[in-house]
Amino acid sequence: MRYAFLIAWREFAENAKTKGFWLSLLIFPAIITLSIQVPILLAKKGTPTRHFVIADASGEFAPLITQAIEREQTERAEQALVEFARQGKYPEPLAHFVRTNRTLDLDGWKASQGTNYLKVPGFVVPRPRFRLVALPEGVSPNAAPDLAAQQLRPWLRGERQLSVEGRPEPLFAAVMLAADLPLSAMSGKGSKGKSEPADAATRSGSKGIHYWSENLADTALADLVENIINTELRRRAYVAHGLDPATVREVERIRAPLTSFNPKKAAGEETVGLADRIRQWLPSMFVYLLWVAIFSISQMLLTSVIEEKSNRIIEVLLSSVTPGELMVGKLAGIAAIGLTMLGVWVASLVAIVLWKSLGVSPEAAAAAGGMAGIPGDVATILRTTWLLPAFAVYFLLGFLFYSGLILALGSTCNTLKEAQSFMGVIVLLLLVPLLMMTYIPRDPNGTLATTLSWFPPYTPFVMMNRVTADPPLRDVLGTMALLLVCTGFVLWGSGRIFRRGILRTGQPPELLELLKWLRR
Amino acid sequence: MTAPALELSHVTKTYGDFTAVNDLSLSVPAGCVYGFLGPNGAGKTTSLRMILEIIRPTSGSITVLGSPSALAVRGRIGYLPEEKGLYKKMKAWAIIAYFATLKGMSRRAAKARAYELLKRYGLADFAEARTEALSKGMGQKVQVLAAIAHDPEFVILDEPFSGLDPVNQTVMEEIITDLRARGRTVIFSTHVMAHAERLCDRLAIIAKGRKLFDGTPEEARQMLPRRVQLLTDDSIGPLRDLPTVSAITSTASGAWQIELHAGADVQAILQACFTHNIRPRGFRFDEPTLHDVFVQLVGPDAKEATHR
Repeated sequence: MRYAFLIAWREFAENAKTKGFWLSLLIFPAIITLSIQVPILLAKKGTPTRHFVIADASGEFAPLITQAIEREQTERAEQALVEFARQGKYPEPLAHFVRTNRTLDLDGWKASQGTNYLKVPGFVVPRPRFRLVALPEGVSPNAAPDLAAQQLRPWLRGERQLSVEGRPEPLFAAVMLAADLPLSAMSGKGSKGKSEPADAATRSGSKGIHYWSENLADTALADLVENIINTELRRRAYVAHGLDPATVREVERIRAPLTSFNPKKAAGEETVGLADRIRQWLPSMFVYLLWVAIFSISQMLLTSVIEEKSNRIIEVLLSSVTPGELMVGKLAGIAAIGLTMLGVWVASLVAIVLWKSLGVSPEAAAAAGGMAGIPGDVATILRTTWLLPAFAVYFLLGFLFYSGLILALGSTCNTLKEAQSFMGVIVLLLLVPLLMMTYIPRDPNGTLATTLSWFPPYTPFVMMNRVTADPPLRDVLGTMALLLVCTGFVLWGSGRIFRRGILRTGQPPELLELLKWLRR
Repeated sequence: MTAPALELSHVTKTYGDFTAVNDLSLSVPAGCVYGFLGPNGAGKTTSLRMILEIIRPTSGSITVLGSPSALAVRGRIGYLPEEKGLYKKMKAWAIIAYFATLKGMSRRAAKARAYELLKRYGLADFAEARTEALSKGMGQKVQVLAAIAHDPEFVILDEPFSGLDPVNQTVMEEIITDLRARGRTVIFSTHVMAHAERLCDRLAIIAKGRKLFDGTPEEARQMLPRRVQLLTDDSIGPLRDLPTVSAITSTASGAWQIELHAGADVQAILQACFTHNIRPRGFRFDEPTLHDVFVQLVGPDAKEATHR
């Protein structure tokens, strides 16, 4: 045992000295931190204000859009102010309105400050997202959509810049409204008055709203415009049909609330909340960690075996230790590396989660509408479920299973190149749980999940995925037993192959030969 | 001498149809330097691996330091394999110390010993160097030091001289004679006869897995007929009748080559020359070398092996 320990220790120490190991230790916490901080930063910096124009022959929609944008901007500013107050920075007059729960009593504040309620020292009003500007000179608002687009092309393509308050700004988008938007014709009463020549309207594609922009990814403006115009068109239609828009809005607001319940939970706690959703998805992250860990340390193991084999150090080792001791030592050393890596990852995850959840009281988290509450929920789930212990167990078994395969494989190859082609098969085998990772939480006790659980190479991943969904005890124990037996078999078999393969030079053995090795 | 350090009895190793070692029996007395000679592919490495229990013989038995299992006495054995390799990223001292701990030394003692050995054999400056930075010869020295760091009673060196320059070959010889001076048993394989000639107390010659000779270098030389070259203008007729002479042939240079029966005294020829009034203009007697013995014994096999 002493010898196995010595080998394990060298394996651990040598791998721990590599740059790759330290990089992999740091990269995960870095990714987590970035994925939390970047959206916050982006929200702060925000996208630049988008300038757009509208060619609205009727002249009726542009003011509506301007109003909607202003309304949205006000809401965002107020939200930002509440957030600002929650961070604990209360310049004197504001402090008074921050009462319990450290949130701002916005209505009270507005009432007391009048129109200047957003002017708080230290608070920066967020930039507006959109801004409607006048059409550039020479572009007629009455032009048909195609023609207007034609005229606006240089601006839309960035060849020319708009002039906004003396500063040049790029044109983000142009909205063209056909003269006869579909429902306006139905107004019948001629409330719109104008009737454009029919030829413009009947040309295919000229109906409705035309949205021109080079940026196809950011659809916020397009959605906004579409929404406002359609709401207005509907409002007009209601009026045309003799309905009171206010009544209609009231009718539209009728809504029976839907609450999800989980029959597995105790009475009074059945409500499905954000925490439950996290509970459903958090294991996926652990599956991913498990996968990355098993994959990367398998590579380490392979490299280490091949190095000893190609250098023939193996002979010196085998004159000092038995193949069994060598194998156990290697497995233990590399497993220790993997556990260290995972330990640091999980610890950093927990630390980041705690750090983020610290200082945010549950009430405040609730007030913030969920997002801020996630770290707290994660912390609770980690504390109250079997996630972490299951993770450790499945990691160990999964690692032993795959490393057994890889040891056997590595021992039969002379160079890393030879081994890589075999590695391809194992990588393919390993891809399945990675692909299934997102499907399994949707139906964690369904046929797919259950079937895959009983396939030992996938048991660690799939069961890890199911662990918070209370899988039947039969599945948990049964798959665990099967996995244990199979891992035992793989290790036993790879021990036999390892013993023979490790001294072999020349061509890697054929499959049949390997089977023969297993028998003897 | 005391009980043998190593004893092989009818050891055979086959791989499928191929017989690598065939019915090999030999005995290595404790405290001697034993040469294991043979052409490429003779089964030297296979034999050494079986001695170390890295592989098991198909049949026959091996006793190392009184134990039927080398692993049971692994702490008392040192081994340098034929193909030399080291962990590239490890420092020279760390590798020596690591292998010494695998042989049962404590870490602290192993570290001290590693530095001591590196210093003694002129590598003190490279103790902290990673082995990938060492030259081939230095790397090989480090590996030999790793093999003997735990001060084993029995050292097995597979082709210790291959790949070394003449200076380092001398260092290697020095290491072996040091070991002998300390009463250790050394068995080394080589196909360079000069080393064997200088170092071996006993040797075995094997080819195609079979033992062809086993004994002292002197005994080996005795196996070959002694040859005398005689240059004379007189008739050598009378010499043909001497009982010690087995054959006389003339050489291209005009001298006579007289072959003597094994173990015959060369003096008898000179005496006969005087008696029969044969006046030598030149007389040369060369003791046969191990090289001659080797070529004589394994010549055809060795050629076959290289032409394969």
